[in-house]
Amino acid sequence: MAEVLALRVFDLDAHYKDFQALWAVSLDVKKGEVVSIIGANGSGKSTLLNTISGLLTPTRGTIEFFGQEIGDLVPHKTVAEGISLVPEGRRVFTRLTVNENLVMGSYVPRSRPNKNKSLKDIHELFPVLKARQNQMADTLSGGEQQMLAIGRALMSEPKLILCDEISLGLAPMIIKDIYKRLMQINAEGLTIVLVEQDIRRSLKAANHAYVMLEGKVVLEGEPSSLTEDEVKKAYFGL
Amino acid sequence: MKKAIYNSRWYVLAALVLILGIVPLMGDQYLLFFCMLFFLYLALAQMWNLLAGYSGLISLGQQSFVGMGGYVVAVMSNYYGVYIWLGVLLGGVFSALLGLFMSLFIFRMKGVYFAIGTWIFSEALLIWFSNWEYTKYGMGLFIKPNPNISMTEIYYASLIVGVGSVALVYGILRSKLGLGLMAMRDDEAVSETMGVEVFRSKLYCFLIGAFVTGSTAGILYIFQVFIQPYKAFAIDWTVKLVFIVIIGGIGTLEGPIVGAFVFVLLSQTLAEYFSVSMLILGAIAILVILIAPKGIMGTLQEKLGFEILSPRRK
Repeated sequence: MAEVLALRVFDLDAHYKDFQALWAVSLDVKKGEVVSIIGANGSGKSTLLNTISGLLTPTRGTIEFFGQEIGDLVPHKTVAEGISLVPEGRRVFTRLTVNENLVMGSYVPRSRPNKNKSLKDIHELFPVLKARQNQMADTLSGGEQQMLAIGRALMSEPKLILCDEISLGLAPMIIKDIYKRLMQINAEGLTIVLVEQDIRRSLKAANHAYVMLEGKVVLEGEPSSLTEDEVKKAYFGL
Repeated sequence: MKKAIYNSRWYVLAALVLILGIVPLMGDQYLLFFCMLFFLYLALAQMWNLLAGYSGLISLGQQSFVGMGGYVVAVMSNYYGVYIWLGVLLGGVFSALLGLFMSLFIFRMKGVYFAIGTWIFSEALLIWFSNWEYTKYGMGLFIKPNPNISMTEIYYASLIVGVGSVALVYGILRSKLGLGLMAMRDDEAVSETMGVEVFRSKLYCFLIGAFVTGSTAGILYIFQVFIQPYKAFAIDWTVKLVFIVIIGGIGTLEGPIVGAFVFVLLSQTLAEYFSVSMLILGAIAILVILIAPKGIMGTLQEKLGFEILSPRRK
């Protein structure tokens, strides 16, 4: 496989006002890979995703997407470039129907013309979303909402999808199902970044893993090369 | 049954508008006056609903545009003899320009600060206009329509802005902008990551609201004949609009229709007891908020499970 870099984050700092949340974070994601970022609460995982998608502007360092600098782009520009975010806690549009939520996903002009085809694809991937297409999103169960959030992110026909804690608060059976679908779309060529607290599951899915602690990357490598002990130490900062 | 009502709704609505269209021929002056007020308040309230109910912009300064629209019509007709309906249109344009200017400052604010910011602008305009020689200070201006117009013409103009405002908001909600607005209302940050340009969408709504509010006010002041800053830029305007939208149902298209009807009906029946009328209106608003927080239409929609003017794409 030709090793094309989809995403290169280099020496990245980010602040919330005076509080520094990211410290010189560097990370590479190759095209077609699944990369896992694990870490405890407050380790900066979500901040990193929010900075990549443009919700937060980095204070230092660079973010390159297929060789193009995107560090200072606002969210509606990064999604136009092909980066889609599945936000933490699902955050579906509760007072819109399931289909309207999905259509929102293809809001950017680039993906608008293929809206109907994408909708069909998502309905195939998650049949339950088709069955519930005219229901209000807040009537869905947690697992269904997570599928909707993923489906919505896929509607923009992204090259890279950033998933923030998709297993949070879901039953193991449902998590397993959602991961199966994610691996299926990865097999079709989509690059995926997973942020998780569920270490075992996300290490199993990933080609490459990063462990974050207090806003820094403290360990990285292929999941097979990382021992459980190493990961534990990095995760808890022992 | 539900389906039958739903499918026939356009005919019913068309028939309703048609009936309202022949009100001037019925010869009942009170009915004409009543319907005119209803349409004017409907247009003003529908715009506040577009801002507060759909765009998350709580404006307490709609009276800026009411006053601007009214004063433009007064100045144009008094000093320049401009054709009266052109004056009304210009009132809308000037209001939109004022909105654009205001946005430079208040769009940096959010939530309650935005609300206060819009209010402060209105108060500043009130002071400005009551100290401005050009607009005859606080004494106010008479509106001298050119050419002289009849009540029937004013009525039809009101009908156009009333029905037009509903059609406009319906159109906006069915458009791409509208879907973005509704998503924004539910979750602003996430809608941004879907590609919604939040700032621009809000600005469009604010300017559309300013334009329609300004033109509607122009028609209203042609009817009232006389404009004074203390009335035109008073917070009372927005208080009335909030009342209408809250009791009717915020964030629904039908809410302002029902709310405007209830409001005009109440304010006309209570007109004789002016001193207590505001108390009664206030009590009604509190009751509705306690019993049916989503307003009359919002609650009905939830109970019956269908919307007459649904912005949904099915």
